[in-house]
Amino acid sequence: MLDLLWLVPVLPLAGFLALTFAGRRLAKPAVTAIGVGSVGLSSLVAGAVAAAFLGHMPPGGVHRQILWRWFDVAGLRPEISLHLDALSLVMILVVTGVGFLIHLYSAQFMEEDADFARFFASMNLFVAMMLVLVLAGDLLLLYLGWEGVGLCSFLLIGFWYGEPANVLAARKAFVVTRVGDVAMAIGLFILVDRLGTLDLQAVVARAEAQWAPGSAAVVAVAALLLGGAVGKSAQLPLQTWLPDAMAGPTPVSALIHAATMVTAGVYLVARTGGLFELAPSIRTAVAVIGTATLLLAAGAALVQRDIKRILAYSTISQLGYMFLGLGVGSASAAIFHLVTHAFFKALLFLGAGAVIYACHHEHDIFRLGGLRRSLPTVTWTFVAGAAALAGFPLVTAGFYSKDLVLWRAFAGGHFLLWGAGLLGAFVTALYSFRLVFVVFWGETGTEAGARPGWRMTVPLTILAALSLVGGWLGLPAVLEPVLGAAEEMAEPHGTELLLQVLAGVVSLGGIALAWALYGRPGRHGDPVADALGPVGRWWRAGWGFDALYDRLFVRPYDAVARALEKDPVDRLPAAAAGLARGFHRALALTQNGRLRWYALSLAAGATFALYLVLTL
Amino acid sequence: MSGETPMVLLPLGITAASALAVMLAAAVRGPTPRAATGRAAEALSVLGLAAALGSQLAVAGAAPRRVTPLFVFDGVSSILGAVVLASALAVVLLASAYLRRLDEPWEEIYALLLLGTAGALALTSSDHLVGLVLGLETLSVSLYGLVASVRTRGDEALEAAMKYLVLAGAASAFLLFGVALLYASVGTLELPALTAELSAGTPAGSELVTVAGLAFVLVGIGFKLALVPFHLWTPDVYQGAPAPITAFVATVSKGGVVAFLLRLVAAAGAVARPEDGEGLFVVLALLAGASILVGNLLALLQRDVKRLLAYSSIAHLGYLLVALLAGGELGPRAAVFYLIAYAVTILLAFGVVTILSRAEQEAGDLDAYRGLFWRRPILASAMAAAVFSLAGIPLTAGFVAKLYLLLAALDGSRFGLVGILVVGSVLGLYYYLRVVVAMLATPEPETAASEPVGASGGVALAGLGAVLIWIGVAPSAWLRILGIWLGG
Repeated sequence: MLDLLWLVPVLPLAGFLALTFAGRRLAKPAVTAIGVGSVGLSSLVAGAVAAAFLGHMPPGGVHRQILWRWFDVAGLRPEISLHLDALSLVMILVVTGVGFLIHLYSAQFMEEDADFARFFASMNLFVAMMLVLVLAGDLLLLYLGWEGVGLCSFLLIGFWYGEPANVLAARKAFVVTRVGDVAMAIGLFILVDRLGTLDLQAVVARAEAQWAPGSAAVVAVAALLLGGAVGKSAQLPLQTWLPDAMAGPTPVSALIHAATMVTAGVYLVARTGGLFELAPSIRTAVAVIGTATLLLAAGAALVQRDIKRILAYSTISQLGYMFLGLGVGSASAAIFHLVTHAFFKALLFLGAGAVIYACHHEHDIFRLGGLRRSLPTVTWTFVAGAAALAGFPLVTAGFYSKDLVLWRAFAGGHFLLWGAGLLGAFVTALYSFRLVFVVFWGETGTEAGARPGWRMTVPLTILAALSLVGGWLGLPAVLEPVLGAAEEMAEPHGTELLLQVLAGVVSLGGIALAWALYGRPGRHGDPVADALGPVGRWWRAGWGFDALYDRLFVRPYDAVARALEKDPVDRLPAAAAGLARGFHRALALTQNGRLRWYALSLAAGATFALYLVLTL
Repeated sequence: MSGETPMVLLPLGITAASALAVMLAAAVRGPTPRAATGRAAEALSVLGLAAALGSQLAVAGAAPRRVTPLFVFDGVSSILGAVVLASALAVVLLASAYLRRLDEPWEEIYALLLLGTAGALALTSSDHLVGLVLGLETLSVSLYGLVASVRTRGDEALEAAMKYLVLAGAASAFLLFGVALLYASVGTLELPALTAELSAGTPAGSELVTVAGLAFVLVGIGFKLALVPFHLWTPDVYQGAPAPITAFVATVSKGGVVAFLLRLVAAAGAVARPEDGEGLFVVLALLAGASILVGNLLALLQRDVKRLLAYSSIAHLGYLLVALLAGGELGPRAAVFYLIAYAVTILLAFGVVTILSRAEQEAGDLDAYRGLFWRRPILASAMAAAVFSLAGIPLTAGFVAKLYLLLAALDGSRFGLVGILVVGSVLGLYYYLRVVVAMLATPEPETAASEPVGASGGVALAGLGAVLIWIGVAPSAWLRILGIWLGG
């Protein structure tokens, strides 16, 4: 059964190829069957592989499937190989499972779109590339998937390319993540240069043998890989692309935020954890970046008005928790949070999509309201997702995973980071339920038009269930053998319980505050934003990062481009060309067509030749 | 004369005899319709030149043989004789459609073409100054007639012929005077004897006379090859002459002269090493450098394709001279190879011009080529191949030849000339590519008259194109033959 692993990425890839080459000629049902079916089959294969893997664990907990050797140049022999262990198993289950639900949902959501086939082709490729990324046994192949998801994000964010703003958003996502990609590429170059391999297992083994902890090379490599991860996972300082990335169709946002793309950075850091262990300073940086990002993004989410923007900032914030988990040395907690987040964030985006779908593409939450009555299924599934996001104690998955991250931070002695995380959790609860109360409670705003059909409600329901019970999966226990167990806890069990209670209280406090500010009947406006005043506007603009980058990079770059537009460097060649033209004009005067002048030239030439031979 | 001697004279004999036969055919024309005579002349010319070329190839590679004091038949004469005959054959084939469209008798043109070819052929094998004058005059006098031969071209052709007559006459005068001076100082007209006398040391006082004589001979040759500053006639004559005749001027007449120049440089080189900064070589180097720069610069903004090709030929002869000056074993070989590539290329270019032209309205201006790719893709592709080859772009004969030439020049440490050559090539790219750009442009709504290519023209173009690409892609066979024939 494990040998069928290659089918997992190949099925969506085949779907992509079929839809790309035949999509225009196929009827919509056929396109749907291929587009949704390929990912569905892939998830079934992934499930079967998982059953086989868990039922009969291969030695070392790793199954490698070498498909072929890519090339063999100067000692570098990258292989097209699939690497299956608990981490990649979890990832393929999430990617194919959540991906399938999103595809199913899209079948209805995109039904009216003229470019139906192109949409599913891109979505399939997106899933295929993400699967390549997480299954790659070699960093080079991983990089292929890495760039592949970058490309697909570009294609899908700019899916409605008729609108210039969408294309700009796509370009922004591409360019900003590219900054990280370049860093990552340089990191890979160093690995090839110093270790002579990109094989995942060999890299870590050789790095441990060859590099002393904290040595310059390993710090550089870890920092560069972190650069790549920061770009893909929208962490400070490369987070600015994600809020704009919602320009694409809502299912795309769900896919980007939950199953593919942004989780790639977290996966990369978890996967190359061995390198980060050798570079403690960079690992600390991971935690600090994560914490800073989670706070900033939570603040920004608190004051947004656009439903998708709120969710986008919340993704950045939740990714911050994952980085915090990675940074405090508990990759299993981070991946646990990644999984639960995939459930509830996909759910929230799909729910938001259903709202937008029903309410004539209205994005502003303050023009929506009271949808609880007209869209009950959407409301209750959305509430489940928001509760998971807010970390509603005991009955939601988000509570367990977030709590685990915070506990590991506390247990590792990072009290400041823990405190910040707890503050973030409070803000998270506040903004999640601000969203819920404003959109689904209160007075009716925009009337709900189209009702979502089963293809939309079924994924919502399944994801809602997963958002609630996903916390009891016991994932950390599965993951810890691969990702390394956290250090023996110094604190007794009692402290953990105490902190859990504290986290629960914080979450409930946030929800209660949201109720007080937004939920009670008769409330109007946005008291938090009003109270924050200019600070709120600053936060709403994403803490001014766009403006800052605009001044710091975009405008100087534009200025340089404008200066170069007139090609000052071209002056020299242009001068040469001008010189040649001048000579041409001067010489053309000699071609005056007059015979006596020609004869004179003949005579003069002869005279000069004579002079030369006689004097030399 | 041994019994085998007539064999080596066969090409020349066949060519001359064909000329006579064509003249006879024209003379006995009488009441027969004009077209029939013209076609008979055409057929006679094609057959005669093909036979001459065949016999030339058959006798090639034999041991060098002197026939009368005037001629020597060796590797140089074999190869360049073949180049001359093949070029003439191509010109005749290409001219066919153009001439048949004329509203006037055209059979004399074939007679003149054959006579001129005979003169050029004689030049390739003469290593005697009298042989030089003989060949050159036979060639030149034919050319005067040829340039003016098509009356439909009107004053333009007459003007060109007049200019050519006067200037070529003056140049011949220089040449003859130079020959006279050499004879006066050395007392012989045979190149080998001349070389021997010169290396033995000329009598004191007559040394100046000798070099002056050589310089004047060089002026005459420089005029024929259109080297700067003896080039001013070239664009006017190229433009005024009928297109097929221009092709003849650009190839056949150059081939013979280059052969003699090869012998002359070899003779002079035996006396003084080129590196010594000896006067004659300085003059040649200046002619080469000036030709490359001035030729390319003059072509730069030229809009008339025939004039453009005229300037281009000035520059290309300058390149060829660089190879000659490089000396060594590579030098002459590179020069001959370059001449072959040049002849193939320029014939292809003029071939396209010829096919697109009518006598009264020749395809001169670049506008006539606008959108040619969309109207006549095959012709345009042939033109593009020729232009790329002239520019020296890889996969064409021009690239390989220029590469070989550069190697020879670097081998001979001619760094200054190599620098000029590079500058010239860069300049060249600009105007060569302009032709391609024009051909790719959107076609004018009113399409120019589309002349049929004709069977013979098609054969010639296909053959030339094939050779151009063949040399460009797999030059080794050509280089090997060159090596065998030129020895070493």
